[in-house]
Amino acid sequence: MTGDNGRKGSALHEVIEGIDFARRELLGKQRGIGLLELVRDEKGDYRCYACTLCQRTCPVDCIQVDYCPEFPEQPFDAEAARAAALATGPGASCGAVSACVSGEKPAQFAPEVDLKRLDPVIAGIRTGSGLVEALHATQEAYGYLPRVALESIAEEMHIPLSRVYGVASFYAQFRLQPVGKYVIDVCMGTACHVAGAPLVVEAFSQELEIPVGGTTPDGLFTLQTVNCVGACALAPVVRIGNEDTYGRVGPTEARRLVRKLRKQEAAR
Amino acid sequence: MSGAKRNAAIDAALQAALDKSAYLADDTKKEIRICAGTACHASGRVALREAAETALTKRGLTETVRIVETGCHGFCQQGPIVVIRPQGIFYPRLKPEDMEEVVETSIVGSGVVERLLYRHPQTGDPIALEKDIPFYALQKRIVLNLNGKIDPYSIDDYLAHGGYSALARVLKQADPLAVIDEIEQSGLRGRGGAGFPTGRKWRSCRANPGEKHYIVCNADEGDPGAFMDRSVLEGNPHSVVEGMIIAAYAIGADNGPVEGYVYVRHEYPFAVQRLRRALEQARERGLLGKNILDSGFDFDIRINQGAGAFVCGESTALTLSIEGQRGMPRGKHIRTVAHGLWGQPTNLNNVETYASVPWIINNGAEAFAAIGTATSKGTKIFSLTGKVMNGGLIEVPMGTTLREVIFGIGGGMLPGREFKAVQLGGPSGGCLPASLLDEPIDFESLVAAGSMMGSGGMVVVDDTTCMVDFAKFFLRFTAEESCGKCVPCRVGTTRMLEILERISSGEASLEEVDLLEKLAAEVVEGSLCALGGSAPNPVLSALRYFRDELLAHVVERRCPAGVCRPLIRYVIDEAACTGCRACVAACPSGAITGERKQPHQINPELCIKCDACRQACRYDAVRVETGILEPAGPAAAGGRRK
Repeated sequence: MTGDNGRKGSALHEVIEGIDFARRELLGKQRGIGLLELVRDEKGDYRCYACTLCQRTCPVDCIQVDYCPEFPEQPFDAEAARAAALATGPGASCGAVSACVSGEKPAQFAPEVDLKRLDPVIAGIRTGSGLVEALHATQEAYGYLPRVALESIAEEMHIPLSRVYGVASFYAQFRLQPVGKYVIDVCMGTACHVAGAPLVVEAFSQELEIPVGGTTPDGLFTLQTVNCVGACALAPVVRIGNEDTYGRVGPTEARRLVRKLRKQEAAR
Repeated sequence: MSGAKRNAAIDAALQAALDKSAYLADDTKKEIRICAGTACHASGRVALREAAETALTKRGLTETVRIVETGCHGFCQQGPIVVIRPQGIFYPRLKPEDMEEVVETSIVGSGVVERLLYRHPQTGDPIALEKDIPFYALQKRIVLNLNGKIDPYSIDDYLAHGGYSALARVLKQADPLAVIDEIEQSGLRGRGGAGFPTGRKWRSCRANPGEKHYIVCNADEGDPGAFMDRSVLEGNPHSVVEGMIIAAYAIGADNGPVEGYVYVRHEYPFAVQRLRRALEQARERGLLGKNILDSGFDFDIRINQGAGAFVCGESTALTLSIEGQRGMPRGKHIRTVAHGLWGQPTNLNNVETYASVPWIINNGAEAFAAIGTATSKGTKIFSLTGKVMNGGLIEVPMGTTLREVIFGIGGGMLPGREFKAVQLGGPSGGCLPASLLDEPIDFESLVAAGSMMGSGGMVVVDDTTCMVDFAKFFLRFTAEESCGKCVPCRVGTTRMLEILERISSGEASLEEVDLLEKLAAEVVEGSLCALGGSAPNPVLSALRYFRDELLAHVVERRCPAGVCRPLIRYVIDEAACTGCRACVAACPSGAITGERKQPHQINPELCIKCDACRQACRYDAVRVETGILEPAGPAAAGGRRK
């Protein structure tokens, strides 16, 4: 910051000149300096983990980590996006990072959303309930967090949808997709793990033909894992809905449980 | 108000609360106590309650004999548990159809139904009384004392057993600093894992200026395999409430307004329900809210539910979560006691810490400090699970050895199995091998051994658990739960997991084992919070104590415990197979063939290694073989250290 002659104090002139140069050469021409792009590694995999830190840090709120742009009801699925990116290979450049870049929209169970059921939640916000509380109440009403409900909450709380979405996607308990009639929670706590819970999850997954986190197209079953329900003495533990807890479930019992429920449903 | 007048007012207020419950203090009344903890609930306590009601109605005893649905008794392996008072007769794994006989013999009469009693695991002798069962006899229950005795929905039960007397004592003393001194002298340290001295925390929170002081209870018990806090909240919620009010008084009295929060896991619906009820009842009796016990002190508690994020057990993440944000920890150069919830001084303690407070006030700091070791005082609750005979919730003095817990209280390993390791501290802790079984349990010894106290999860594993698979389990957990703020934790744990995957599929080289160790050190170094800082611990402890087993995967490409799928194969022992076709029926992929009464075969092409056949076989004829791949060539041996 000193001039050619090394005297202190002469730097001010240079700083002013520098600012002037920046104004003339860079900002004066066009405000945007480049296009925001997600960088891939040498294998073609996106480096982005969709952690939303950039969104939170950005001083002018110009970044939004959000729903899939092509299918507005579908939450952004970082894992699927990465898989899709890998499938397209390095060099291919797709502007929108979509969970569906390489495939059809998957068959999905999508019930109607009745916004009336959101009224108590909105009333709760007006009396001072926080965002996490509001999301819990919403999930209780719908079984998941529909996009329209999140939009109403964002509007009511005067915060951007992306912030509501950011909180909703951060916590494992919140579901952005509708769930089936029977939500099967397989406990993946330590005691259940050593007692063979992974084999139980796999059995459910094969019997229902859905991955963990998925819902059967008929809207009957959703398969999830939970970290620990605290009934370790009965490991491996499976919970169906909020009430029914089954202890000491092996792969065979798991399949039997599904068949039993299917039979029950068919009889109705 | 003068001192004497105030004391009289406090006494009168407590007496008024007590009057309503005085009838319960009578200890000779007959009671059927049914455990309503989560494990007993899952084992069928609802049907048991109905059976008890029917049996009492039949004999017209509904008015005189009370049915109490208590919190967790701790002996979850034996659920559903029924205890008959006043004798204290213990009936484990009781079936509804046997309830009638129990009522006839033990309530109407005063005998015991011998065939239904618990039997000593070694001698096989029946044991009638709860207190004589080795599982209970070897424990020291301070925090859990009233668990299993009182109805968690009833404040009367708690009051009748001396509840809220510690609060009255503190209010009468009217010296908040003396409370802090008492807690400091007791040597109580945070039960959530880190072991920070509670008294010192209270003192610095009080000293920090702010518009409001916050008292927060951390009930976000995220460690898989740990359920101490849940059991305390479910069994005796008032003890936590009382502890929090005392903390609020110590920190907030004559120091500006003070407000409380309990941050509890959403996965614990019973705990939330009972805590909510407890808060309502405490408010009704004037024990919470404005002008507590007529002392002029105001304090109220709100419940805030988490939403399934392990990292929210971390103090800074927890406060952000209460504020309605993503729970991402920040640096700890500014402590929560100075700048916590809503930017105000905040005292954050765990459930068990608060629940210890009333006992200390009632019995004095010396009594508490007399229990335990030089640096770790008092008792600690553990949830003992895994491959032990007697799993459940236990409370022991600090300094008890692991052997006493696992082989004394826990009753040792399942028949025919050998102890391999005990995992403490959840995903942040480590596995300790048999050679360390005589280590005393206290904060310092466990850290020195490469594990940690953690919140109190204690999972025992036997020779059927593969330590690589076990480390993988914990690492997958932390990789998923990493909030993503610090790159070393977010990316590092994922990369470590990938290496472990390769090890467990026999594809890794020895260089990768070295890389794993280096990465572990980087993750510890480069993470802001305790989640990242301790995430590599399970891997490091596996490398430290079970290196041979890990290297067997790499060099010999076999899994000694027969767990890692790419390295194992299921075969039928033709000599042992009776041809009963049970495995054929169990096999979901149609891989097993064979005629009735002829030895069956497994087609390895079709086998998905799901273990269903082995579990279905009654003759131990399905075996797991390992060492099915060629041992690694010289390339793998390249990176071997020293």
